[in-house]
Amino acid sequence: MIQSQLALLKREIWEHRAIFVVPVVVAVVMALTSLTGQVTINDIEHIDIAVVGATNMPESARGIALSGIMVGLSSPFVFAMWILTIFYTLDSLYAERKDRSILFWRSIPCTDFETVLSKLLTAVIVIPLVTFVIIMATHLLVLLNVSIWIDFRGGSAWHLIWASVPFIDNWTATLVLLLALPLWLSPFIGWFLFVSAFSKRSPLLIAASPIVLLPLLEKILFGSVVVAETLFVRAVKMPLFAGLDNMDLLFQGEDHLETLANTELSLLGLMDLGGFLANPNLWLGLLVCGLFTAAAIYVRRYRDENL
Amino acid sequence: MTSLVSARNVSKSFGNFRAVDDVSFDIEKGRIMGLIGPNGAGKTTLLKAVLGLTDCQGSLSVLGLDPFRQRKELMQNICFIADVAVLPRWIRVSQLLDFLQSVHPKFSRTRAEELLQKTDINAKSKVRELSKGMVTQLHLSIITAIDAKLLVLDEPTIGLDIIFRKEFYGNLLNDYFDEERTIIITTHQVEEIENLLTDVMFINHGKVVLDSQMDDIPEKYVELLASTDNAATAQTFNPIYEKDVFGKKVLTFEGIDRDQLAGLGELRTPDIADLFVAKVKGEAA
Repeated sequence: MIQSQLALLKREIWEHRAIFVVPVVVAVVMALTSLTGQVTINDIEHIDIAVVGATNMPESARGIALSGIMVGLSSPFVFAMWILTIFYTLDSLYAERKDRSILFWRSIPCTDFETVLSKLLTAVIVIPLVTFVIIMATHLLVLLNVSIWIDFRGGSAWHLIWASVPFIDNWTATLVLLLALPLWLSPFIGWFLFVSAFSKRSPLLIAASPIVLLPLLEKILFGSVVVAETLFVRAVKMPLFAGLDNMDLLFQGEDHLETLANTELSLLGLMDLGGFLANPNLWLGLLVCGLFTAAAIYVRRYRDENL
Repeated sequence: MTSLVSARNVSKSFGNFRAVDDVSFDIEKGRIMGLIGPNGAGKTTLLKAVLGLTDCQGSLSVLGLDPFRQRKELMQNICFIADVAVLPRWIRVSQLLDFLQSVHPKFSRTRAEELLQKTDINAKSKVRELSKGMVTQLHLSIITAIDAKLLVLDEPTIGLDIIFRKEFYGNLLNDYFDEERTIIITTHQVEEIENLLTDVMFINHGKVVLDSQMDDIPEKYVELLASTDNAATAQTFNPIYEKDVFGKKVLTFEGIDRDQLAGLGELRTPDIADLFVAKVKGEAA
């Protein structure tokens, strides 16, 4: 069972090369941006003073600043990951019918449950993990790049960067976010899998229609916005950052910045994983995802296309 | 239970259309059964039921299993080629072998590689880069490397040229078939497989119109090539089908002693294609 599941997951990566191509493309863009950024920054007058200034900052403040840069580098990946997940799930059970390979896949001793499960696991685990590895590589690449620049400017890259970066905090927080996001958005993932399993054409259009039309219909017919609000909350208000208040520090005046510089602020500390896991909306969402996935399995198993 | 496949009163409807209509038959181990029927006769539906891809009414047992409910167990012992196009186009040959090795307990990679070495197929190629004939070769090679008890072929050589078709059936007999294995095959090119069949079943409008061992065909059926004069006499023996060929009559009889027809013209055993036409058209008449 586990061996077959691993083989099925491998198959998903072979078939959907976008799973690693998309984050790699983002990584290349980020790396190139950091290179061009250096060229631009070189033109700034007294830039060397900034290097000296950074040297004189307390280490924790440098750590926070560097972590901020790393978060900045990670954000496009998170965005790209979600777009990738949408397209992947919509294609996952549709492509095998379109290219008529479904009969081959069904001739293999794997149940429909195992097959659909492999697609769900790809969306909620494989894609985030691949994205995570590439994010780490991008962080290292960009920091290395900056180190070289600092060395040219006479600063100590070891001191300024490598000794200060809160790698463990930043990467653990990133991993938690990457794994929590698909769980929070799992009702959409389940819906996309289901659409992918039944739609005869344009799964994207079919999947998007109710998301767009239902709130509109509700508004027109009943004048209420329950559906719209539910979808909106689900889409943007992930309850992982219950300690978000701490984040306000970043956007306040200089006094606060100083306080901030002297605190041990960590990204993980901003997250409330326990609260996230205890949130009933998370489990409600997972239940919806489970129902849609079961429907997708049912459709794959019982569909009778009279060939 | 001795039959490998046993069907009793199997039916399958799509709305009001009965694709398979109360069909009963048995297939024993070590046979090669040809399932022959016109388009839309219900062949594919019947095969899908045998493969557990579709549910049906009646009782159907394949290798002692309920194909629809025990599909996973069944698939360990059954292989099928439904059409040449079904291998995924994006997969590399080597990936296909890796995958099967991991998921199929009865797949022998060594055997598959051995078979592929005899072809021009490169392990690094993707299926989409192979010609149609090569895809079929690949499919047959991997299936031959699976130690399965039953192989189902649904129009396996459609769209292939004559050389590939001959080679396909040659390989099927030489590399795949032995007395432990059983094959069910459907094709429109009946004449090409006639010689390899041990059994034949005709299906028309969802019903079985003939189910016989090939060896019994000469005893049961005879074709008479008679002059028009003799044809009138021959017609009194109730032919199941008759047609005109070059000014002569060809009459097909079922269950009649050849001695009774002696002297009326040339007697021969109808080939499967002719017999098929006789059964299907004769029934319609």
